[in-house]
Amino acid sequence: MLAGAAAAAAAAAVAPQLGCAPLARRRRAATPAEVRRVATACELCPNKCAVLAVVENGQVKKLDPNPASPKSRGMLCARGNAAIKALYDPDRVKQPLIRAGARGEGQWRAVSWDEALDFTAERLQRLRQDHGPEAVLFSSTEGFQEEFFKNFGLAFGSPNILRHPTLCLASVNLAYSMTFGTVPSFDLLNAHYVIMSGANRFESIITPDTMDLIEGTMNRKAKLIYLDPRFTVTAAKADEWYAIRPGTDLAFILAMLHVIIKEQRYDREFVATRCLGLEELAAHVEHYTPAWAEVETEVPAADITRIAREFADAAPRAVYYAGRRSSWYVNDFQMRRGQAILNAIVGNWDRQGGVVPNSRIALGELLFLPWDDPAAPRVDEIDTRFPLAAKGDGAFLQARENVLAGVPYPVKGWMVYKQDPMNALPDRAKTQRLLEAMDFVAVIDTQMSDTAWFADVVLPESMYLERTDPLHMLPGIWPVVVLRQQVVPPLHDTRPNLEIIQGLAQRLGLGEYFEYTIEEWVAEQAAELPLDEPLAHMKQHGVFTPEGAPFYGRTLAPGFRFLTRSGKIELYSQRLAEAGHDPLPVYAPPRPVGEGSFRMVLGRKATHTHASTTNNVWLLEQTPTNDLWLHPEPAARLGIGDGDLVEVASAVGAVRLPARVTPEIRPDCVFMLHGFGKKSKHLRQAHGNGACDADVLVTAWDEVSGNAAFHETVVTVRKVGKEERRA
Amino acid sequence: MPEPRWGFLIVLYLFLGGLSAGLFFVSALATYLQRGTEPAYPRLARVGALLAPWPVVAGSALLVFDLGHWYRFYKLFVTFEWRSPMSIGAWLLAAFTGITVLSFWSWLSAETLAALVRRLPRRLRFLRVVDRPWREALRRPLAMAGFPLAVGVGIYTGVLLGAVQARPFWNTNLVAQMFLFSALSTGCALLILALSLRRAGLEAGEARLLFSLDIVLIVLELFVVLPYLIHGALSPLAVREAIGLVMGGPFTFSFWVLFFTLGLLLPLALELWEMRPVLLARQALHPGRAVAALSAVLVLFGGLVLRYVFVFAGQVSAFQ
Amino acid sequence: MRERLGLTREARWALALDARKCIDCKACVVACKAENDVPLHKFRNRINEERGGSYPRLRASFEPEQCHHCASPSCVRVCPTGASYQRDDGLVLVHADDCIGCGYCIIACPYDARFFNPKTRVVDKCTMCVHRVDAGREPACVETCPSRVRLFGDLNDGDGALRRALDARRAQVKKEQTGNDPQLYYLV
Ligand SMILES: Nc1nc2c(c(=O)[nH]1)N[C@H]1C(S)=C(S)[C@@H](COP(=O)(O)OP(=O)(O)OC[C@H]3O[C@@H](n4cnc5c(=O)[nH]c(N)nc54)[C@H](O)[C@@H]3O)O[C@H]1N2
Ligand SMILES: Nc1nc2c(c(=O)[nH]1)N[C@H]1C(S)=C(S)[C@@H](COP(=O)(O)OP(=O)(O)OC[C@H]3O[C@@H](n4cnc5c(=O)[nH]c(N)nc54)[C@H](O)[C@@H]3O)O[C@H]1N2
Ligand code: SF4
Ligand code: SF4
Ligand code: SF4
Ligand code: SF4
Ligand code: SF4
Ligand SMILES: [Mo]
Repeated sequence: MLAGAAAAAAAAAVAPQLGCAPLARRRRAATPAEVRRVATACELCPNKCAVLAVVENGQVKKLDPNPASPKSRGMLCARGNAAIKALYDPDRVKQPLIRAGARGEGQWRAVSWDEALDFTAERLQRLRQDHGPEAVLFSSTEGFQEEFFKNFGLAFGSPNILRHPTLCLASVNLAYSMTFGTVPSFDLLNAHYVIMSGANRFESIITPDTMDLIEGTMNRKAKLIYLDPRFTVTAAKADEWYAIRPGTDLAFILAMLHVIIKEQRYDREFVATRCLGLEELAAHVEHYTPAWAEVETEVPAADITRIAREFADAAPRAVYYAGRRSSWYVNDFQMRRGQAILNAIVGNWDRQGGVVPNSRIALGELLFLPWDDPAAPRVDEIDTRFPLAAKGDGAFLQARENVLAGVPYPVKGWMVYKQDPMNALPDRAKTQRLLEAMDFVAVIDTQMSDTAWFADVVLPESMYLERTDPLHMLPGIWPVVVLRQQVVPPLHDTRPNLEIIQGLAQRLGLGEYFEYTIEEWVAEQAAELPLDEPLAHMKQHGVFTPEGAPFYGRTLAPGFRFLTRSGKIELYSQRLAEAGHDPLPVYAPPRPVGEGSFRMVLGRKATHTHASTTNNVWLLEQTPTNDLWLHPEPAARLGIGDGDLVEVASAVGAVRLPARVTPEIRPDCVFMLHGFGKKSKHLRQAHGNGACDADVLVTAWDEVSGNAAFHETVVTVRKVGKEERRA
Repeated sequence: MPEPRWGFLIVLYLFLGGLSAGLFFVSALATYLQRGTEPAYPRLARVGALLAPWPVVAGSALLVFDLGHWYRFYKLFVTFEWRSPMSIGAWLLAAFTGITVLSFWSWLSAETLAALVRRLPRRLRFLRVVDRPWREALRRPLAMAGFPLAVGVGIYTGVLLGAVQARPFWNTNLVAQMFLFSALSTGCALLILALSLRRAGLEAGEARLLFSLDIVLIVLELFVVLPYLIHGALSPLAVREAIGLVMGGPFTFSFWVLFFTLGLLLPLALELWEMRPVLLARQALHPGRAVAALSAVLVLFGGLVLRYVFVFAGQVSAFQ
Repeated sequence: MRERLGLTREARWALALDARKCIDCKACVVACKAENDVPLHKFRNRINEERGGSYPRLRASFEPEQCHHCASPSCVRVCPTGASYQRDDGLVLVHADDCIGCGYCIIACPYDARFFNPKTRVVDKCTMCVHRVDAGREPACVETCPSRVRLFGDLNDGDGALRRALDARRAQVKKEQTGNDPQLYYLV
């Protein structure tokens, strides 16, 4: 048996093979393939899960989860597994391209890297001479090599570094920083009571939260209360799901505060010693009764009261989970502040099963020549418009408005890294106008994104499996350092971002700022790790995680100063007051959608990442296109049947797609999945497949953080064709 | 079932296999029956024997080309999987085909054979040996040997489906009987057709035998089909649902109209009508060419539809 | 696993599924395609979905399914060439070289676990990742699952995780009436 098994195992090295023959029936033993396993880190979404790549005869055959990472908890999601198809996608950009025809026409000239870099550097140089370095925008989304791109922008002298947070989580991060002085994590593995406002954890995968929540709710019998206008997978798994009226979560939270304070169910000792402003808070929530909240939220008052009590009683093992994408409404910051305050007063801070400040691991830093701070102010006027916001990230939508209006100064160039503003920003037509208004646009991407489609030059970066990135420390309750290292050499004439940046820097006389190799960079970072052979360890295991995590209670030591102005947890915030905002969250009802109109809400599915995976055949097998979720009641009113072609129109645009008539969404909301309806003809699977939500989303933002407010979009729906596809 | 794996080729294969079985069965019967020492129905025996090999050979070819790797069909004959109806069937079919080919040869007239041999290229002239006077002596033994095989093949075409317990629509031994009677009946029918198309037409004696035989077979078929439905309707849910496929389900029309009415009741009526002089009075019957041919065609058509319905409905049916 | 087994006892591989934990993320489905070179639009495993209720009292549940590696597999019984076979450890497999692609087993499987592979032109199915199992590793779908829905193990290993799970919780099998004695245990 064992012999047979061994023989089979040997043969198994060559896929495909079905079963394994006992010795009696063995055929010619196939020559076993040369197999390597390389530890690296997934790049298909922001979670950076640890991967063990299986390479057979130079081909990436399989991506296995690397159990060593406490963050990815030994899993790899569908997208992580499908990365192979992204690597071998025939539609990849295979060498640098320079625009030949009109912008967006799709005429390209394949050129050498030298020509592409000369061209790009020359155009950047011209812009710098004619308008100054501030005339170039540098926008990017988080990623292991983003740092080099950012540094290039700074070295170039532009203040206009735009990052993705104001499209994503700026408001929630700011709300928690303003309250606790830091952005914490949530101990879902040990919590006994979890409330979530539309943090769709079982479809929007966040590690380790997704796995910990399943473990917690299903095995440790934690209770999950879930508020969402849609019946998501998370709703399906929750103990209680409330189809809350969109934009009213703050009313729910304020009513909970009302009950907990009125009934003295908060952690008196904790609030007295560590929090600031309970009196103001108590007075503030006095009139926010559950009865009032019921009218706003459509969640029964009795349930709000009960949930408030259960939540307080379960504390400290109870959390009001923050959610990650908080680009929802114009008052989103205040809603998240409400959550933070609620968490604070029940004393779940830094306790097992509570809200826990992140642990970190120190990495070494390679010292390089520093550059002077940019002379010009930021084009998004963030200092005056959003004084409390994280300056380094900028305010994306404000920037787009100002550049289009030419204030406070002209911006003529745009460099984009690992980002697709055409899809990531609301109002795609407006983003297209921005691109068309530019003298020069360069995009560094792995694919021909919609933004790249409108660029002057596309600089193809090697896909993650083809390159080595800097070490990354992922803060959290279980902090971890991961290495993303090259698994196979680049398939095509592509380069890692650092080499692209160096190529440009040298040509612009900025070479001295980037005189290091990725190997030197990684080695320097690894040096700090408490290991005898740090670099060797990282290369072999791909992961480092310290002994003894999780660490609770380090901020509970007497005399600990929180990184807030007062050094305490600020229920009441003087800084907000001074900045002209509500020092305590004041409820503002959402703008009414009006008769016959719908609010468009956004969300994810586990099988796609934003706009970047809709050309991946293995993911398209699971989710081939998008459709419009529409409740049966309005559907009947509008004479729309399941599968009918409908037109969805907002103030800024209209799209057509099939309707999915389903009770799994509120009658006053519609939903469509992001990332479809691509303009880029280069992406043959994604082009013209489904509809693009960004075409109808309107431009609005949260006043405090400048974070986009996608869910302020109001649309009308009408039938334009008979049934197209069966559900 | 995602998409039905078995298509029309299989339908045809089952039909043709059964047809050969039927042809050989009748031919063998005709060889067996005799008046005194003289064979009673020499023409029937001969025509049946000469027709018998062709359908099964064609059908087997179809099956082979329906395989994922047609050239691997030989693997059917390097093992014998006694639990697999298909394996048993493959061997059975091979043996049966062999017998039909031999008896075909044994029934060839000396002239035809000689003519064939003359056509052979010089190098192959030695094949003259096939032309032996004692060929005729083989006819009876072959018929007797072929009898059980013919019946076996007829049953097998049904067992192939009936033995699949995963498909409630099939999983009853009644399917085997249904297919057997239908197979023999189609054999009769083809002979009726063949003979009635000849200038001479059907001779009364032959007609009497064939019609009586076919009437009996059709009646037997009826007495299997109806119990099959009743039995199904009284069975556990999965089977009831499966039967539903022909009781209001997607296969209702093909089953009740095409098979049951056109392929079973109508030819039965026609043949009874033809036989009425014999049945009601002791008179000789004068078979009408048209009616005979029509009833035969209907029976053949019914046989084909029956297999179509079973192959496709069966694959759709499943346990819940 | 095999190491732990040693030579003393034959293993009996099986899978327990805690479907309540399944979040329909499809990681297992995609992992299987990569691990086993499953052609586009063909699948060795799937997630069955059940939705119901009426707004706002709705429900949705998900449940993985693949070859049940039946203890008395009808697919093996009907195979005319012996290409379909069962190992002593219970895994039901196919000798690709002996398969003539007649499709009889596809029809004979009550769980529709088999399909015709247009690339190899023979029948294809879940092998329980036998090449991994024989190398002492877990199947790909089991390994990658974020929710740990899938528990792979040896029924003959008295104190193994699988046995312990099956002792601790009641489990059901599908379509018992087909008499295939399926070995996918759905924990309830
Ligand atoms: N309509 C709508 N808009 C949204 C959202 C939504 O849900 N709906 N979500 C918002 C949120 S939360 C976020 S975080 C943002 C995300 O916005 P983006 O960061 O734009 O999101 P993606 O579409 O995932 O990635 C953008 C580009 O990165 C490229 N890329 C991927 N890997 C690499 C790489 O290794 N190197 C390089 N150079 N490029 C790479 C992809 O090909 C893709 O073109 O979108 C925001 N905008
Ligand atoms: N599979 C997958 N996972 C991902 C990503 C991905 O692209 N794909 N992206 C990652 C990134 S960058 C981010 S930021 C996170 C985002 O993950 P999340 O923070 O969970 O945000 P969304 O997935 O956008 O989910 C928003 C949910 O809120 C609901 N909602 C809308 N309006 C309201 C409201 O007024 N009240 C309440 N209570 N709910 C409302 C929507 O219906 C939707 O279900 O996901 C991360 N994980
Ligand atoms: S969650 Fe999925 S896509 Fe994101 S990093 Fe992990 S494996 Fe990759
Ligand atoms: S991987 Fe696990 S959770 Fe995801 S679909 Fe498969 S079984 Fe369900
Ligand atoms: S599930 Fe189907 S294929 Fe798998 S062993 Fe059972 S019968 Fe055979
Ligand atoms: S398809 Fe292959 S495995 Fe299935 S029954 Fe036919 S020969 Fe056997
Ligand atoms: S065990 Fe292996 S072959 Fe079977 S479904 Fe899971 S991954 Fe696919
Ligand atoms: Mo995000």
